[in-house]
Amino acid sequence: MSFVDLKNIRVSYDGKNNILKELNLSMEKGELISLLGPSGCGKTTTLRVIAGLIEPNDGTFTVGDSNLTKVPVHKRNFGMVFQSYALFPHLTVRENVGFGLKLRKEKKEVIEKKVQAILEATDLSHYAERYPKQLSGGQRQRVALARALVIEPQLLLLDEPLSNLDAKLRISMRIEIKRIQRKLGITTVFVTHDQEECFSISDKVAVMNNGVIEQYDSPEEIYKNPKTEFVARFIGFENFFALTKQDTHTYTTSDGTLIETVHSAGRQQTTGTIRPDDILLSAHDQEIPSNSLAGTIRVRTFLGKSYQYEVETSIGKLLVNDVQVPGYQVGDKVFVVIPKEKLILV
Amino acid sequence: MRKQRGLSIFAGAVFAFLFIPLIIITITAFGENPTIQFPITGFTFQWFTAVFENQSFMDSFLLSLEVSLLATLLALIIGIPAAYALTRQGVKGKSWIKSFFLSPTIIPGVVVGYSLFQFIVIRLQIPLFTGLLLGHFLISLPYIIRVVGSSLEQLDFSIEEVAWTLGSTKFKAFISIVLPNISSSIFASFMLAFINSFNNIPVSQFLSGPGISTLPTTLMNYIEYNYNPVVSALSVLLMLGTIILMFLIEKTLGLAKVV
Amino acid sequence: MSKKIPYLILAPGLILLVFFLLIPLVSVIWPTFYNGTLSFDSYISFFKDTYNFGIFIRTIRVSIIVTVMCIILGVPTAYFIAGTSAKWRGLLMALTLFPMLTNSVIRSFAWINLLGQNGVVNKLLASIGIISKPLTLLYTEFSIIIGSIYLFLPILIITLVGVMENINPEIMEAAETLGASRIKAFIKVVLPLSIPGIIVGSILVFTGTLTAYTTPQLLGGNRNMMLSTFLYQNAMTLGNWEDASVIALIMIVTTLIVMKGFNLIANRIDKRGEQDA
Repeated sequence: MSFVDLKNIRVSYDGKNNILKELNLSMEKGELISLLGPSGCGKTTTLRVIAGLIEPNDGTFTVGDSNLTKVPVHKRNFGMVFQSYALFPHLTVRENVGFGLKLRKEKKEVIEKKVQAILEATDLSHYAERYPKQLSGGQRQRVALARALVIEPQLLLLDEPLSNLDAKLRISMRIEIKRIQRKLGITTVFVTHDQEECFSISDKVAVMNNGVIEQYDSPEEIYKNPKTEFVARFIGFENFFALTKQDTHTYTTSDGTLIETVHSAGRQQTTGTIRPDDILLSAHDQEIPSNSLAGTIRVRTFLGKSYQYEVETSIGKLLVNDVQVPGYQVGDKVFVVIPKEKLILV
Repeated sequence: MRKQRGLSIFAGAVFAFLFIPLIIITITAFGENPTIQFPITGFTFQWFTAVFENQSFMDSFLLSLEVSLLATLLALIIGIPAAYALTRQGVKGKSWIKSFFLSPTIIPGVVVGYSLFQFIVIRLQIPLFTGLLLGHFLISLPYIIRVVGSSLEQLDFSIEEVAWTLGSTKFKAFISIVLPNISSSIFASFMLAFINSFNNIPVSQFLSGPGISTLPTTLMNYIEYNYNPVVSALSVLLMLGTIILMFLIEKTLGLAKVV
Repeated sequence: MSKKIPYLILAPGLILLVFFLLIPLVSVIWPTFYNGTLSFDSYISFFKDTYNFGIFIRTIRVSIIVTVMCIILGVPTAYFIAGTSAKWRGLLMALTLFPMLTNSVIRSFAWINLLGQNGVVNKLLASIGIISKPLTLLYTEFSIIIGSIYLFLPILIITLVGVMENINPEIMEAAETLGASRIKAFIKVVLPLSIPGIIVGSILVFTGTLTAYTTPQLLGGNRNMMLSTFLYQNAMTLGNWEDASVIALIMIVTTLIVMKGFNLIANRIDKRGEQDA
């Protein structure tokens, strides 16, 4: 059994439509996992079930040996950072951070010491007497984090904590979060819709869609081997085409071109997908027996470090990123090569 | 939202407190006994008929309508341009003038009524009806200034400037650009001021006399000497009127925007 | 020329206000200070009279009790309304608004039905055997208080819902994740954040009760005068215009002091974040 376990969680507001259906998720102690998906996929709902802000209609939620499914939110001892930060506007930074400790009836000196320590760790000691209104976005974010951490929570829950920051701050804050999380060894759930943010920070990623976890794996595994078309699309695969199985590693496209793969699918009809970066372009026929299609350049877009081409082929339009200079012009006849180790079947 | 049973029960009790007295009035309007009784015996509409047959109720109802409509219209005619002027830059002492326009809400109604009665009716010998009208105008004006003013403040003035650049005079721009964009707040302020004026007691009480008595004043004096279901019946009719007005406001711009 | 236009537009309103509000007020109040010589005698002798002073104290006392009761009843109710879905909230707000838009004569009359010797409350208490003789509830200070709470509770609720709606619900949830029960989170977070609304609502309730005429007139009777009914009696029944004018100014000044006082309290409590970052 894992440290954190969600088993068969179902959430429905109206009794008819399920926001979460039969959701299962487990985490080991000290892990940082992310819930990744588009808005409305159920990732925030999952986090709120863990926090105790939503009681699931069915299923159980356990941490360690204790079943917390029915335990009210204020008795769970989880730290949560909200998307809006939800700082108490009528309290100073110090009072905000000390709020949870005061409720735990700790001794005054203990509270002061702990608050001071976390304020220093999060670089906030200069702002301790300020009110939230007087802080910048990044400072508010750190107060929210300090407030959640100071109660020494069993779990740390982060609901899109970086989405209200500008791009530069976002990167430095996510490194900061990772650093603190590692240092304290605190088990953390991170909700985001930003793929890059999520991959950079997580031990494991659960990609969610329509209230279901489509794939739960390490970031590398998800990046290399998306299991479903949804996951593939969400993490940047652009080209999808139908394939018919001939043999374990041999497929044909709709126009009969032979495609070899290193992967294999159980089904007879399947979909092949590949990132624009992984397709090779060539002006001449490579005269290889498989994985090559003839096409015409239709659109060319300059991306900075590469060009993106829209290539029309017999199996449809393919997007290809290519770094060759000077590159191809619109109307050029080219050959598209799909490396077999880069082709994914979903 | 998670369930909060205790809070729901508390709120339920408060709403019961707000509505049970009005429900009891409604029920007593239908009892047959000539003095008010609850629970009622029998069932009759005769008290409603009695309301319509009571000449002083009918007269004072018409007077109330007349006074409230005229006073509110006067408040609109004077208040809308004033609210507009108060939102423009370059008016010196703007906040003072605005407080002055809103001051009738700070001065207790009985004091407004009393001073108008003493000064206008007694000293200047101005007819009572004019005094009543002026009193109701005074209590209506703040509603117009406040509601119309806040919607003018939210209005993007560049749409007016665009109209000027397109060749519209300032007056034409006000009529054709500004007014249509604040029409719902004009309506809201009119309704609020009208309801408030129609329901007013303290001002009307001082400025009433032979032949000049608003419906609430008449009703109040009636209650001091009578305790019969006619009062209940009239109350029910007035509450129906309130419901109709609320319905009108809800249909045209939504109650939420008025409060 | 165009600079003068705003003043021209403001002029009619200003003239009407000066002529029919300011001048009448001054003309009524000036004689209470000036009677050949300038003095405060009218006011001193007014307050020296124990009967008058009693009315003044009663008015203040009733206003305080009504305000406190409205807060006690209104705050949880407003919190409940603010927490419901948009559809429910609209309905509950309309239900709260309805009594507010109903004539105050009707609303006071409702309590005559309830509190009279033969009223609903006495009948109810008698039928369950709590009392054997009807209680005197009507024409007491108690009936004025009940009637005024009834009159002003809706306005406090509506003011508060407006403030509470704007409190980020995540703030309440944050308090709960930090270990606060719902009640604690309400007391420690929602309540302090609602102070501005409570202050505004309290000003309306307090000054409303202080100056209300209909309710004390219908529910108080002659032995339980409030300043407003006392003013009317002096002016219209007794013909004592000097006292009426004295009461008028006392009411204005008390109203202003109450408003100023509440706003001072509000500023004292609401110290958070004057300047933005």
